[in-house]
Amino acid sequence: MQVLNWFFRHRDESVRVRAKDRMRLMLIHDRLELPPDRLASLEEELIAVVSRYFEIDRETTRFDLQQYERRAALVANFPLLRSKC
Amino acid sequence: MSGRVIVITSGKGGVGKTTASANIGVALATTGVSVALVDMDIGLRNLDILMGLENRVVYNLVDVIEERCKLRQALVKDKRLPNLCLLPAAQTRDKTAVNADQMKTLCTELKSMFDFVIVDSPAGIESGFQNAIAGADEGVIITTPEMSAVRDADRIIGLIEARKDEIKDHRLVINRIRPQMVKTNDMMSVEDVLEILSVKLLGIVPEDEEIIISTNKGEPVSGTDNVRSGLAYRNIARRLRGEDVPFMDLDALNNTWVTKLVKFFTPVRA
Repeated sequence: MQVLNWFFRHRDESVRVRAKDRMRLMLIHDRLELPPDRLASLEEELIAVVSRYFEIDRETTRFDLQQYERRAALVANFPLLRSKC
Repeated sequence: MSGRVIVITSGKGGVGKTTASANIGVALATTGVSVALVDMDIGLRNLDILMGLENRVVYNLVDVIEERCKLRQALVKDKRLPNLCLLPAAQTRDKTAVNADQMKTLCTELKSMFDFVIVDSPAGIESGFQNAIAGADEGVIITTPEMSAVRDADRIIGLIEARKDEIKDHRLVINRIRPQMVKTNDMMSVEDVLEILSVKLLGIVPEDEEIIISTNKGEPVSGTDNVRSGLAYRNIARRLRGEDVPFMDLDALNNTWVTKLVKFFTPVRA
């Protein structure tokens, strides 16, 4: 089994990809000097604001930071179900 | 003459700053230009050992700054290359012995004497680092493909970019890459690190036991033929001189007869 694992190891991208993903997220927070819970509270507040106008699909709501060169972009996606107005 | 002051820095300790400084210095001097190596790691002097010059040190950088000797008296000539000199750090003092203005003055004087002034910065982001980058025109950031080193490199890049009026250019060297581990997806690749840091690449240096041997001998690998890390540093020196040198093919380093045999028996990737 050990031998098989060794042969097939190169198929498993998890360690490298995991390091890269952790790294990216960590550096976005570092560069913005953003405490870890800050983003979650922003998300909550934004959802609260949007929810006053629309009913949103919380299941598919996406909210995260993406890297753009050495800067970060806040990407939020709130699928709207219907207007509350 | 107005040379270029290049600071070698990393943030994290132990990633190979001093080794890189010694090797880039030797590689540049081998191309014919005059080079001064400046050890700014005051209190933790090491560059003299890597150069094999530890027995020739008389005066040091702090002696020059405190005017106990002339700059020329403190410069130690390399054993092999007459156009390469070392300005050693003081071993018995600490980082507070020098300030940024004194460093700028020193760099200006060195620039008038040499084509290249390579400054080996101490680890960290405190005063020692701030002084080391004080007189620099360019920066070379050293990292390894490990998360902690990359994180610290990112911090350093941020600090260097904040001074872009003085430090006109900065590039990254990825040190101690292990091609086999990248291939098995156990280590971040050069592309991964570049994507994360969004910075220009100056060079890739593969992990090499020859580095340890060369340190013990006091002869940097870039002065030796047929050593892969030495070739990597010679390529870096050529790029610093403006030459367009292709980056090392790490997969080619993997093609030993053992890996060829393994590849032969390994099922082809879907």
